[in-house]
Amino acid sequence: MKKYKLLISLVLLLFLQSVQAQIILNIALNNRPQPWLSDWVNPVNGQMIITYMLGPALNDPLIKIKTTLLDESGSIIGVSNINAARVYTLKAGVNQFTMADALQLQNLVLSGNAQNLLQRTGRLAAGQYQLMVELTNTLGDIVRAKQTRPFYIVSYSLPILMFPTNESKLDAHIAQNLITFRWSSLVPLSQEPPQNRVQVFEILPGQTAMQAFRGNRPLLDEPAIRGTTQYIWHPNLPMLDTTANHKFIWTVQTLDAKGQPFPGIDMSIQGRSEPFTFSIVNQMGTMDKNRKNDDLK
Amino acid sequence: MNHLKKIAFGLALIVALQANAQEKKKLFSFSGDMGMWYEGYGLNKIPGPPTTPDFYPARKPWNLIRYSFNPTFMIGKWTVPLNFNFSPMQNNFIAALSGGKQTMWQFLTNPANNFGIRPKIGTTEFLLGTQYLKYSDLSTGDLGIFGYGINLSPGKFRFKFFKGVSQSPVNYVAPTIPNPQGVIGAYQRNQWMAQLGLEKEGKYFAGFNFVKSIDKISSVSSPPLTPIDPQENMVLSFLTDLNTDQGWKYHIELGQSFHTRNLNSPLSLVPVGDFKPFMNAHITTSKDNAVMLAVAKKGKDWEIGTKFNYYGAGYYTAGYPFMNNDRMEYLVNTRFNTWKKKINVVASIGERYGNLSLTKGPSKTNQVIANVNVFTQFTEHFSLNTSFNNFGFNTPGIGGYKSVSNELSINPAYTWSNTKMSNLISFTYTHSKYDETILNVTTNNNTQTALILYVPTFFEKKISPDFSVMWFRNIAPSIKLTLLTATGGMTWELNKKFNLKGQLQYNINTMAPFTGSKNMLITSGFDWSVYKKLTWQFSATANVYHYGSELPGSSLIPAYAGNPSYFESTLRTGLLYKF
Repeated sequence: MKKYKLLISLVLLLFLQSVQAQIILNIALNNRPQPWLSDWVNPVNGQMIITYMLGPALNDPLIKIKTTLLDESGSIIGVSNINAARVYTLKAGVNQFTMADALQLQNLVLSGNAQNLLQRTGRLAAGQYQLMVELTNTLGDIVRAKQTRPFYIVSYSLPILMFPTNESKLDAHIAQNLITFRWSSLVPLSQEPPQNRVQVFEILPGQTAMQAFRGNRPLLDEPAIRGTTQYIWHPNLPMLDTTANHKFIWTVQTLDAKGQPFPGIDMSIQGRSEPFTFSIVNQMGTMDKNRKNDDLK
Repeated sequence: MNHLKKIAFGLALIVALQANAQEKKKLFSFSGDMGMWYEGYGLNKIPGPPTTPDFYPARKPWNLIRYSFNPTFMIGKWTVPLNFNFSPMQNNFIAALSGGKQTMWQFLTNPANNFGIRPKIGTTEFLLGTQYLKYSDLSTGDLGIFGYGINLSPGKFRFKFFKGVSQSPVNYVAPTIPNPQGVIGAYQRNQWMAQLGLEKEGKYFAGFNFVKSIDKISSVSSPPLTPIDPQENMVLSFLTDLNTDQGWKYHIELGQSFHTRNLNSPLSLVPVGDFKPFMNAHITTSKDNAVMLAVAKKGKDWEIGTKFNYYGAGYYTAGYPFMNNDRMEYLVNTRFNTWKKKINVVASIGERYGNLSLTKGPSKTNQVIANVNVFTQFTEHFSLNTSFNNFGFNTPGIGGYKSVSNELSINPAYTWSNTKMSNLISFTYTHSKYDETILNVTTNNNTQTALILYVPTFFEKKISPDFSVMWFRNIAPSIKLTLLTATGGMTWELNKKFNLKGQLQYNINTMAPFTGSKNMLITSGFDWSVYKKLTWQFSATANVYHYGSELPGSSLIPAYAGNPSYFESTLRTGLLYKF
């Protein structure tokens, strides 16, 4: 008897759903989306699919999206303004939206700290969050579909160059044989060790350091052993010679496992750390006696 | 050959103009220099063609020529300095140019080239062409900009304005089989800047800096792909410097930046409102602040100073695009003499905190920078230089990272002489300890360097030799690297106008357990004062490198019987004419 009751209940439920139009919400959110929330328009962050199936009655293709952002503990840190939300008209079948449509950044009201950070950086603090999306009627009082997805957000800080320090002077006798480059790690550590490429540029006569950096071909462009933060370079250059270049600028380019630069605030820098300059001085040799005092100034 | 003809023609023109200038000395004169610099590079590898394995890449362009022309013309009350320094070739790497022939506009705005003119009359200075203008540390100063502007400095009033292009437009080119890298492309970046302030030279400056940059979307027919998007940036900073008669120096700069990461993104008053009339806010716009404070006091034999810097996580200025932000740091430095001025001490200590915004993990990073250098002149003949450096970097947390670098260097030097010659012998020993902790696993990396240098100077001979021997060892997990080098150099003053020079270096580089790689570097050349105003420098270098068993020929593609080697040659020459 119980089985019959259960079966009748299921049939009734299916009947009620079939006479109404059905909305199915599916959020395919990348669990590590891009850290700049405004970038969520990019397909790499996933997409939101709303399937709208027409029924014999109650066909209302108009919906609004209500977005709620929750932190790791489930506390709400942001809610979209439903009154200002855009009204979408669904077409029968599959309706595709970007994650930016789901997030509604322009319509999202964040709490104090998160709002302040968003204004300053366009990002959230690193950590685990949940994105809850509800599809409502145009008044916003009836939820027609709802889904919650967790995601982890983090951005990276490029390595800081450590040695040779900026504007340091290296002894030509040692430097023409080897120069040790060191830098800090990527912060935070990535899941796969990054690839660091050490790049050294000669500053040619009459050039500024940044001019050489942007305009010249690197004298050294070699990968360090993956995961290490040191590279020993054997220049084998005649640095004791007065005619040789004695000024250099160097950096480290940090690439991910796919060989793509780690993103920074300006993507045109292609994952390169703030460069340092160093110069070669011959403190005691004879080939550069006349320049000694100038170099040491 | 054409280049030489051009140089010869240029020299003749300058001489003729100078002769004319001498006749009308008060009305027109000029001074400065011009020159040509050439470097040729060659690389031969064994095994060689037709199937040369890719074990050592060419590290320079085969040919590189640069011209410089830096005269300053004095025409009546006008001073007109020119700064032309350019190469007809393009070797850009970071600021990419397309592989084809560059257009005239790309040539002029190529960051490798300078075409700058700064005519000045009285307190008015015009700026034309490529200019490197440093207004302040938080606004602009890093990049060359091709454009026009003006500096006015009547009395204490200061006004500067400049408008130009800091990045040439470059079309995106998709990777293809002959060009697998493709060209990432770049939008033309237009930039203007202004400074408004009051100054009494050597005493004080107070003023505002404005820097605005915008990428011109229509500048490329094939735009770069995302994430290289067109950007817009505006920085406003207040700067003040003050020097007192008592030796105090103060420096304050407060900056605020507005930055739109993608001009193609929709206009929006969220998260940041418009900054009218300079910028319309987009959804990718952010704004943040930066602060620089410094104070220093200078005495007769000493100096001490401290500085504090803060860069917000969203602070960005197109004037310093590589600036590292989201950090706060302080530094205290000092310099003083003691013990009858025989001891000179230079020291600094500082700390840097990063990830202040916590957008890059749950913890702030911490970096310690400390160094001290002590130079002591014990006697007329004996001196000792000692330096110690400490760098530490720490990211706390479960997935944390920590590195500590300690480096101690000792350098005694002794001189002695007789009636015929003087001698200098110098010894340098450096011990560097670099420890890294990643995921609670610590690795130790120890480096030792020892260098002995001997320099005899003959009072009555025209040759000046020097000799050095260096030993280097680096020990780290799975690495035991030893380098032994002997170097000899000599200059020979044939006459007052002509110096011959040469250097021979031989080193053995051993990575245990492999056999050593052997390298010989030979350089020779001359410095010749062809005549009073024309100097010619020439240098040729040969670099021969034989790999040890570290790179066996059997590991190459295609395999080779024996170990590979290469021969690298560099020819460098420069002509400089001063007028």
